[in-house]
Amino acid sequence: MKPIIQATQVQFNYGAQVVLSGVDLTIHPGEIIGLIGENGAGKTTLLNLLLGLRTVKQGQLTVFDQRPGSMISKQKIGSMLQGDLPIRGVTVKDMLELAAVQYPNALKPTDLLAELELTPLAKRRLNALSGGQLRRVTFALALIGNPDLLFLDEPTVGMDTNAQQAFWQRINALKAQGKTMIITSHYLPEIQAVADRICLLQKGQIAFQGTFQALQQQYQQVEITCQTALPAATFMDLPGVTAVTKTGLQLQISSEAGDATLGALVPFLAQLKQVAVKRESLADIFVHLTKGAVA
Amino acid sequence: MKTWLVQLKFDGRRLILRNFSFQFFSILMPAGFYLLFTKVMVTGNVPTSFNLKYMASMMVYSGTINALFGIASILLRDRETGILQWSRLTPAGVKPYYLSIGCWSLLMNVLAVLVLGTIAVIVNHVDLTFGQWLSIGGIAILGQVPTLLLGVLMSFVSRAETLSVLSNVITFPMAIISGLWWPISMLPNWLQPIGKLMPTYFVNDWLGRVATHGTLVKTDIWGTGVWIVGMLAIVLCGVQLLLKRSDGVVSA
Repeated sequence: MKPIIQATQVQFNYGAQVVLSGVDLTIHPGEIIGLIGENGAGKTTLLNLLLGLRTVKQGQLTVFDQRPGSMISKQKIGSMLQGDLPIRGVTVKDMLELAAVQYPNALKPTDLLAELELTPLAKRRLNALSGGQLRRVTFALALIGNPDLLFLDEPTVGMDTNAQQAFWQRINALKAQGKTMIITSHYLPEIQAVADRICLLQKGQIAFQGTFQALQQQYQQVEITCQTALPAATFMDLPGVTAVTKTGLQLQISSEAGDATLGALVPFLAQLKQVAVKRESLADIFVHLTKGAVA
Repeated sequence: MKTWLVQLKFDGRRLILRNFSFQFFSILMPAGFYLLFTKVMVTGNVPTSFNLKYMASMMVYSGTINALFGIASILLRDRETGILQWSRLTPAGVKPYYLSIGCWSLLMNVLAVLVLGTIAVIVNHVDLTFGQWLSIGGIAILGQVPTLLLGVLMSFVSRAETLSVLSNVITFPMAIISGLWWPISMLPNWLQPIGKLMPTYFVNDWLGRVATHGTLVKTDIWGTGVWIVGMLAIVLCGVQLLLKRSDGVVSA
């Protein structure tokens, strides 16, 4: 399948400051990419390059086989960037109507408002909306052109819990329709739940690219808890174990090689009760990776 | 075309219908000035020629205020609220946006001509032929182009505070020394030649001559033309330079 986005050794800098360096990225139709990284890692710059708002200094970058920012790519892309549009004197419906007229396969504004449960806000002025409501309108603006590719930069900031749930339901529906999405968010559980692939940017370079499961394989920190009468010292020398604590019958084992430790626990299973294994979440791994604990 | 028409409707609502301050400063304030200086603060019979020339001055003043205060601040605010970036990402790009803003600015100038003309006819009983009114409308629109382009250029300053200072520093001295508030002959001798180089002077003089059946002078036409071409060149080069320096993104 032909990739939608192809980046080869992309570099971008502001003067002497290198923001992105040696970025290789291939994204195929229907994929959801979770773009994560610390503040200033280069996520927004990468999105700006993909949108054609900035120009690649070195390397090659194509979107829909075109240079970023071409008419064809603009027609197929919907973007929800960090800034909303609190324009004075403009209603939600006015804004969507202006956007809809620009795209060849646009959705009907009234239908989209109804689908996103925004109909009650249709006649409200944009500058009178709350932060979360504005974010939802920005999402509607990203969808109005019925795009094949969506860029969602911190999409749920300011949304209340209900709005967030509705947003992710919508994202799953779009995923089922085969839409391609690049999502950046600091709420990593959201990314973990929907992304097919994680792309971790660190200091302008891609530090990891793959599935969350592959990332977990690479980073095997686990916490094992159980109840046992065996002494703590029994487990100290098992492979990968970094710490063992025991309070009464409650035992807690920390390991940096989860699979090896679990394998070594098999002979003791008859004497272990209520065994629970907690693998690191994306957020935990992110913290370790960005602190440089794992290369 | 359809995109531009929808953009025109969109901007008309937000910039004109739902924006009283724009209407006030572009139309009502010059109209108030006209009434004040031709009806309230005068004694005895006011010559018809003064009523006509002051009407022309207020038409130019309206266009100048509209461009250097109204349009410049609207463009800056739009850049700050993200409309410009949003427009850049749409298939039609920023052209319909700038065309629409420019059209509304010129249309507001036509409206100012209509309002000031109506007041001049009803209150000061001025009597002009249809051809004169048509010429006045056309010259007023043409004469606003240099200040409109100057407004576009000013909107690229980085802060609203800077723009406010710039608008005040340029608009009022330019209005005064080019003879929009009172006759240029009342200014000191050393200042008059400078005033006569201002774009507002050329168009004001041109309008005044058309309104009073005066002799048209080529310098008014040439002066306006040179300002239009010069400002267009500066704006186009300036925007290109800004886009290049900022790597394609002119953001707040």
